[in-house]
Amino acid sequence: MRIEKAELEVTTRPPASGLVVRHSWQKHLLTFLMVFGPGLIVMEADNDAGAVSTYMQAGGQYGIHLLWLLVLLLPICYFVQEMVARLGIATGKGHAAMIYERFGKWWGHFSLIDLLVVNFLTLITEFAAISLALGALGISPYISVPVSALGLTLMVVTGSYLRWERIVIVLCLIDLTWFALSYVVHPDWASVAHNAIIPTMPLGGVTSGLVFLVIAVVGTTIAPWQLFFQQSCVAEKRLRFSDLKWARLDTLIGATFTVCVAGAMMLVGNYGYQHGIVFEDPAQFADAILPTAGHFARNGILLLMVNAAVLGTTAISLASAWAYGEVKGWEHSLHKKLWEAPGFYATYIACVGAAAAIVLIPHVPLQLVIISVQVFAGLILPSAIIFLQLLLNDHALLGDRWVNRPWNNWVNWTIIIVLFALSLLLAAQVMLPNLFK
Amino acid sequence: MTTMQSSYKPQSYNVVHPLKDVPEQKCSSEGLGQIAITPSVRLSLRILRGYLMLMTVMLLYHVLDLAGALKHFKL
Repeated sequence: MRIEKAELEVTTRPPASGLVVRHSWQKHLLTFLMVFGPGLIVMEADNDAGAVSTYMQAGGQYGIHLLWLLVLLLPICYFVQEMVARLGIATGKGHAAMIYERFGKWWGHFSLIDLLVVNFLTLITEFAAISLALGALGISPYISVPVSALGLTLMVVTGSYLRWERIVIVLCLIDLTWFALSYVVHPDWASVAHNAIIPTMPLGGVTSGLVFLVIAVVGTTIAPWQLFFQQSCVAEKRLRFSDLKWARLDTLIGATFTVCVAGAMMLVGNYGYQHGIVFEDPAQFADAILPTAGHFARNGILLLMVNAAVLGTTAISLASAWAYGEVKGWEHSLHKKLWEAPGFYATYIACVGAAAAIVLIPHVPLQLVIISVQVFAGLILPSAIIFLQLLLNDHALLGDRWVNRPWNNWVNWTIIIVLFALSLLLAAQVMLPNLFK
Repeated sequence: MTTMQSSYKPQSYNVVHPLKDVPEQKCSSEGLGQIAITPSVRLSLRILRGYLMLMTVMLLYHVLDLAGALKHFKL
């Protein structure tokens, strides 16, 4: 294990001042609150506009039959993101930088280009959702999209990581409203509990549509940008070795919260299943339930869709900007002012601005973009996790303290094999639509 | 009357925010070069590279086909 030479001199600095507390529980609580953030944000931002649409479709088409899948995905999300947090704390660097340094330029650039392309396509879907949801509330896309893009830019250019983090945590907590919405649509809670634990077969058995939706739910819950985002975020927040246990707790809370919110979205979609409402997107669903479920449900769904898109956009754009900055060797930090890290901020602004502009072009084939995002993300996710797995077994870099334990490796290789199988199935299904009938 | 001197001193903890703390020495890849991998892992990565490139090209073709961009090239 090598030590950063540049860091050696700073260890001679006097101890930093902090908050003094009397009890050890206060120390633990305060330290946790200081570390808390990246785990919740990376997980909840993954409940983006595409996820809202996918989970509600799952509920709308199959009721609560796929709830068990979310419960199954919780430990998978945690295991993958825990590795990312550990690698970020151990190296103090982002994921793109580590792939570039340890696997060479080819893989470094390949991973970066893949990430940038899939992220950009995803951003288009986020702005499409903003346009759709606010359009249903009577706001023209020519106002809603540019204003959202401006707001998303202002969120990051303040020169403070903590300010950005606090804003985004508030946005994450707004998603608690999904629980209120799921309560309003009165699901049968006993059936919900049963279907969350015991897998049941929907009416009609295993169909092409069911297979596609299962893969879409998996692909929506675990996305490639999350690996890059959380590691860069942990490095940005300069988490210390001693913070690892709190970063793990943060990740576990984030995973649990996200899966519960996803379940609430499915329950809201289930209202459509119970009342025979067929819908193509959440905005259409929100309008359809107005007469029976009321204004709170309708407007809540539309506004939460916007919130999901805003959360997804800021996290995904930052993942791109951090990764690009790391590989290019630019200053890439939210602690820097706009003029101190011009390349980093320009990447963020270019991602947000270009995606917003594309959505405003009439007759853009958005459905094609959405399908491309799902397939491309499904294709690159297993390979991205393979690099993570190899890095977490890099004894020369991490020493024995931070590398995966054998049980970690068993769990993670199992996850990789399952994801690869699903990725192949998705690719086959999209490219050969008549393969499964 | 004897006075008892207490040896009790209230313990206190100084909690520092990670951003305000002294930077730590992190694991660095400086001077390590590329990761040491076995020939089988290297072969697997090459196969993965081929697979990803093939699938990317297939996806691109499929998307262009769906968008109607290839209709002039079809027989």
